[in-house]
Amino acid sequence: MKTSVENVADLCESSEDNCKKFIDRIIKTNREVFMMSSLLDKQMCGYDLIKEIFSRCDVFLSQGAVYPVLYTLEGEGLLHAEYSKGDMRSKKYSLTLSGRKVAEKDVEDFAKALEQVSLLLKR
Amino acid sequence: MLKNTINGLDKILFDEIPKGSVILVTGAEGTLKSGLVFSMMTNYIAANDEHGLYVTLEQNVESHLRNMNSLGIKEEGGLHIFDYRDMRLEWMDSDLDLIKTTEEVIDSYKEKYDNLTLFALDSLNALYSISENGNMRNKIYNFFSHLRDEDLTSFLIMESAQSRISGQFSQFHQIEHFLADGTIELGMIEGKGGVKRYIQILKMRATKHAMEKHQLTVNDNGINILGPIY
Ligand SMILES: Nc1ncnc2c1ncn2[C@@H]1O[C@H](COP(=O)(O)OP(=O)(O)O)[C@@H](O)[C@H]1O
Ligand SMILES: [Mg+2]
Repeated sequence: MKTSVENVADLCESSEDNCKKFIDRIIKTNREVFMMSSLLDKQMCGYDLIKEIFSRCDVFLSQGAVYPVLYTLEGEGLLHAEYSKGDMRSKKYSLTLSGRKVAEKDVEDFAKALEQVSLLLKR
Repeated sequence: MLKNTINGLDKILFDEIPKGSVILVTGAEGTLKSGLVFSMMTNYIAANDEHGLYVTLEQNVESHLRNMNSLGIKEEGGLHIFDYRDMRLEWMDSDLDLIKTTEEVIDSYKEKYDNLTLFALDSLNALYSISENGNMRNKIYNFFSHLRDEDLTSFLIMESAQSRISGQFSQFHQIEHFLADGTIELGMIEGKGGVKRYIQILKMRATKHAMEKHQLTVNDNGINILGPIY
């Protein structure tokens, strides 16, 4: 039987994991913003995006969650797709003019929203 | 309503198919499985303010649309077509679990369009042939449950040329039939007047329907269902 003190210690140790769990959830549900923010810097294919977000955020977005977003954003005219020269294997996406505007605004608003949420928690 | 999506469908379907039904569409190659399903979906989407998702593993989007175009079936904005071409080329060296990935694809479209009500998979055979085999029965069961949880009326296309189905595949062959709420069979029959296409509803839970084979034709107006074929 563990003493209650040890249980509390366990809880504290897992706080980093717990935090990671919330970050994971936030990034996954808001992946559209994270994907567009990555595309602000350079054009990328689905594979590049998954790798980039993994190395930047330590969150693995699954393929089934990423490609549909790329296709619907392209359908909405926010992304432009083209096969990279000499490599028909990967379709590179870049932001269109209107896509860039939406991306910049979404990134800004999303950051604001997160600040407001953390204020809401400090009652 | 789905009943009104194909000319003459009301000759074999007397009630509306309940929302959220999972329906198998079986038949040999070239029996209009893709055409029938895509046609039902585009016509439904055109008449209702809803969205649909057509996942094609057999062909990529362009060649699927070419095929549909030749059958006189037009594209519809609310019907999203998803293929795995880019994903498979870019992740060539990884083992993709395509059943799980397909579930994620459905969830992604559902998140984006909350009035996503129709789903089609073209085809189950292709999904099986490129999925790892571990515990297939469970995976199929879970896949069907997933479609029901999402409340999607679903068409699962299954090529049924028995002779082509090798032993490994046939062990999964039964489970879909009892899991599905409906089975529509498409085929061709050789008769006096030559070869005719037919459609037959073998099963449709909670729905009144004809049992006979009815003739199926294609013309400039798309797909039509005529009278019984006997
Ligand atoms: N313009 C047309 N008129 C009549 N039949 C056609 C036409 N274009 C294609 N077809 C038929 O449609 C078939 C393809 O239909 P499809 O729905 O792709 O079949 P399946 O998915 O069952 O393999 C072709 O094999 C051909 O017989
Ligand atoms: Mg087909």
